[in-house]
Amino acid sequence: MKRKKIDFIMDIIVTTVALILGFIIVFPLIYCFLSSFKTASEFLEPKLFPSSFKYLENFKNALERGNLVRYTLNSFIIAFFGSATRMVLSILAAYAFTFYNFKGKNFFFFMILGTMMIPGDVLLVTNYLTVSKLHLLNTYLGVMVVSFVSASQMFMLRQRFKSIPKDMREASSMDGYGDLWFIWKVLLPLSKPVVTTLFIQGFINLWNAYLWPLITTASSPEMRTVMVGITRLNSWEDENYQLVMAGVCISLIPSFILFFIMRRNMKKGGLDGSLVG
Amino acid sequence: MSREGRSAKRRREGRRVFFLLLPIMVFAIAFIYFPFIRTIINAFSRVNSKGIIKGFAGLENFIYTYSRKDFLPALKHTLIIAIFNVPITLVITLTLALLSQKRRRLSAVYETMFTLPMSVSMSAACMIFKSMFSPSVGFINYFFSLKLGWFESTETALAACIILTVWMGIGFDYLLLLSALRGIPKSVMEATEVDGISLWRKIFLVEIPLISPTIFYIFCTNLVLCMMTSAPMIIIMGVSPESSATNTLMSMMYQSGFSSSDYGLAAVLSLTAFILTLLFTILSFVAEKRRVHYEA
Repeated sequence: MKRKKIDFIMDIIVTTVALILGFIIVFPLIYCFLSSFKTASEFLEPKLFPSSFKYLENFKNALERGNLVRYTLNSFIIAFFGSATRMVLSILAAYAFTFYNFKGKNFFFFMILGTMMIPGDVLLVTNYLTVSKLHLLNTYLGVMVVSFVSASQMFMLRQRFKSIPKDMREASSMDGYGDLWFIWKVLLPLSKPVVTTLFIQGFINLWNAYLWPLITTASSPEMRTVMVGITRLNSWEDENYQLVMAGVCISLIPSFILFFIMRRNMKKGGLDGSLVG
Repeated sequence: MSREGRSAKRRREGRRVFFLLLPIMVFAIAFIYFPFIRTIINAFSRVNSKGIIKGFAGLENFIYTYSRKDFLPALKHTLIIAIFNVPITLVITLTLALLSQKRRRLSAVYETMFTLPMSVSMSAACMIFKSMFSPSVGFINYFFSLKLGWFESTETALAACIILTVWMGIGFDYLLLLSALRGIPKSVMEATEVDGISLWRKIFLVEIPLISPTIFYIFCTNLVLCMMTSAPMIIIMGVSPESSATNTLMSMMYQSGFSSSDYGLAAVLSLTAFILTLLFTILSFVAEKRRVHYEA
């Protein structure tokens, strides 16, 4: 009885502390949201809240003058097709590694996993030279092409595929169905939670990318992604932070939506934390 | 099945495997292995401003890079970020994970709050922090009644960058630690209850050793991330010769590769950062080998 009471009080204390810490962690985002409704003169006052939430000029300006409509569209195209291609490549490879035995299987497997050892930033300059030689600068393909390979995604898919009985594939190939049919009709429906989560993860990664889109679209402002766009909304001379904050808010909307979908998905699929890297 | 039949089947399977693996291998080679090797070659070659190799240079690029007077500061800044960021992130995320380990009524609320920074992009975070740390209109100076010109001196600018990168890393690391803590077998936790050991002993002698593989994983990935820090410097400080006060190895690489097309220098810097990262990772593997507890 006494034990229960102590536990109850402890829970209240811990919850309060956790909520306060949570508030501190989320604070930059709250700050960003509130600032985006401020007028230029309001921003100069040291107040947290804007006088009203009816002032929407910042959003309008960011979308129109900052060209964020176009940049958001660019980001969508790049993130969607980039992560879709990545998913297709990973599924094909994971399928081959799970259901086939072939010479050099381990070699190829570790060759793909080995890509995780090399941080992408190290390759920035040489990839830039390759992409410019292929005349892919300032194109969507040029921005996504470096993110087509994801070893961790391939690995995660293989882990899932392994739990699917091999008999199923044998049965389907006896019936004369090919690999692609089996992947599409059997494998994917059975691995839906993993595939969705990995796809969303890939989408967020590409959506949030900064350095690579920055350098590959440097000479053509219309091709910029939204993450590059928001950093161009102000300069040291013209600070204009309220405009920037509005732009940041816009850029965060898709990530947040996907983030919440992914969290729900992970809990449902019992995937919490098993998605490493 | 006859022998020919079997070998025909095997050939057919070989062809299928070939086409299944071809796409991913093409891109892995073209955009990961090839550029990696090319970076190593570039480091030892004379490369012109169009990126074409003009001959073997031996160690010329290395000597040139290491004797530049902005190299040591860049290295120092990179190491400072790593030295502060890695332990701070671990302490914060571990505290948060231990706090929220038990499921309570409002668990979902604060768990979401802790993980939210995960979905924020580097450039968005940079812009928010640039605004919050702004000397004139920033909230931080106002709230703590400071008069710091955050990005004007190297020390405070680095401090702001560390705060930013720690914040960026909280969400994901917290999630990993939380699921590791919740994955500890119930029987173990019940045994500690029966033994009635104190909370601190439970945390430091039971829970932390049990989740040490996850802690070690976070340690290594954060180390790599820190060594590659460049975006805050590029976005917040901008790229100009004057702004090199807070340069890291990677932002210096970015400058030399894209502002001045000095590909030899860029290659040496990339390689230096890579080798240091590899070295640290190997060292931590050796050091932790005996201490990390892996379940059989």
